[in-house]
Amino acid sequence: MERLITNYYETASIILFGIGFATLLLHSNLIKKIIGMNIMDTSVMLFLIAKGYIQGNVAPIIVDEFKGVSEYVNPIPTSLMLTGIVVAVSTTALALALTIKMYEKYGTIELNEILEKGDE
Amino acid sequence: MTIIKSFPLIGVLILYLIAFIMPLIKKNSLVKFLSVISFSTCLILFITCLRYVIYNGSYFYKIGHFDAPYGIEFKIGIIECVIAVLFAFISLMVSWYSCYSIEHDIDERKIPLYYLLINILVGSLLGIVFSNDMFNVYVFIEIGNLASCGIVVVKGKKENIKAGLKYLIMSCLGSGLVLMGIAFLYSMTGHLNMTYIHESLIKSYMNYPQAIIITLGLFTVGLGVKSALFPLHTWLPDAHSSAPTSSSAILSSLVLKAYVIFLLKILYRVMGKEIIFNTPILNILLILGSLGMIMGSILAMFQKDLKRIIAYSSVAQIGYIYFAIGLGTELGVVMCIYHIIGHAVTKSALFLCSGSIIEKTCQKEITNLIGVGKEMPYTLALFFISSLSLVGIPLLPGFVSKWYLAIDSIGVNKLLLIIIILASSLLNAVYYLPISINGFFDEENSGGKIYKSKEKTIKELMPIAILVIAMFYVGINSEGIINLIKTALA
Repeated sequence: MERLITNYYETASIILFGIGFATLLLHSNLIKKIIGMNIMDTSVMLFLIAKGYIQGNVAPIIVDEFKGVSEYVNPIPTSLMLTGIVVAVSTTALALALTIKMYEKYGTIELNEILEKGDE
Repeated sequence: MTIIKSFPLIGVLILYLIAFIMPLIKKNSLVKFLSVISFSTCLILFITCLRYVIYNGSYFYKIGHFDAPYGIEFKIGIIECVIAVLFAFISLMVSWYSCYSIEHDIDERKIPLYYLLINILVGSLLGIVFSNDMFNVYVFIEIGNLASCGIVVVKGKKENIKAGLKYLIMSCLGSGLVLMGIAFLYSMTGHLNMTYIHESLIKSYMNYPQAIIITLGLFTVGLGVKSALFPLHTWLPDAHSSAPTSSSAILSSLVLKAYVIFLLKILYRVMGKEIIFNTPILNILLILGSLGMIMGSILAMFQKDLKRIIAYSSVAQIGYIYFAIGLGTELGVVMCIYHIIGHAVTKSALFLCSGSIIEKTCQKEITNLIGVGKEMPYTLALFFISSLSLVGIPLLPGFVSKWYLAIDSIGVNKLLLIIIILASSLLNAVYYLPISINGFFDEENSGGKIYKSKEKTIKELMPIAILVIAMFYVGINSEGIINLIKTALA
């Protein structure tokens, strides 16, 4: 319990990951599935960015003079997650576009109704 | 000769650059020509690189002149080059085949975009194979993910959209898990480069016993979803059977395999033997692989649709690949890579044959395909030879991998596994052979059919024939290929 509270960033991100994962798997509404997917991606971003943060250090931008390596937070996870955001946005866009197509073809976005209708 | 070292990167870049020229071109025939040209250039580049690597040993290739822990790195070894040659060869044959038949499957205006997606997909798969940087691999996985969904939905029919969305959701789940795994590895080691992660893990893995197991679990499930490991395969039959023929061939023979290669890299290059032998991961892979071998074949027996049968058979064959990894010996890894090669060649030939049969007869159900051997003798003969390989007839690659897997099962003292291999081969025979037998020998029902009336021209059958010849080569020259892979592992 102690460990969970001291590492509250990690705990929060794992809980969010679980919520996203469950939403993605269990809901039958396609929009809710996509929201779950986004929550899952965001939780990983929170996890990695929290890993790069060092208590008391400043953002890695040199203002006046270089203060030395130990004075800045780790910039790598942040820049990685910039790529992660781009990836998440493009997958969401494709998934939403496909959902619109589904609605045009089947008239519903509930996955269980679509499966009942079949391909007739 | 340093230019040869850049060939893998040049190959990947050529595919991406040519991909983005395609939508600008109005003439579809020119687009097809460009696609074939880009794949044949890649094939030549990778063969040259393979020769270089065989003589001079593997090397690391820096991208952008930054040194290893900071910059992105490719590791080019014999295995990577063999797989790259295989990918370039299969995609060349598939795109050659699709030149003649793609109009039957998709709208004429979408053809340039289709070839764009194929090029991007193959480029990203090659990136996964070559890259030595975890996050770089993740980006390539996501590109491949979007492109492979694209080539499923391109047909624009109801069932395609449904299969494509199912595939997209499942593989997003998979890549989410992979990204979480990468985050765990980064937080444990502070590196993204596989070599450095390994060095740092070897020193400190005793401190994180649970984190290592969680990471391995995340990667196994994530990549298992993407490569259709047995209980996670639910998206595969829909996606592979509804996609256009050339897409199914590429999806089944290349896309699944790249993720297996990545899992092999995680197990042996990032973690290393010392760590994975302390965890139950290999046994889990062995059990899931065996289940896949049996259940994939059993599910295939109940299918009516020709392409769905072949799609379920992919699940069984992926089971063989995971079975080989799960044995945990050096021979197991070698046979995993050999089976990847053998299955890629065989399954693409099978999909292309069944695609031609469906295209010419307009029948999908196998009960309606009785007597098709009279109408399309050459196509069905090619189909028959390829299905013999999956059943396991000597000289063909399927037999070689089953033989060595059986030997290796004896080697690790698990005799029960031989029964599983035998049962799976028999099940393969149960659903593959009736298609060809009914096609050729059912005289009563094929009375009204005219000999060779629906046969494709020789020109159109050439790519399939070359794939079948390549299959014979892989089977007959199995000794050479296995020794080559063994020298790479040693």
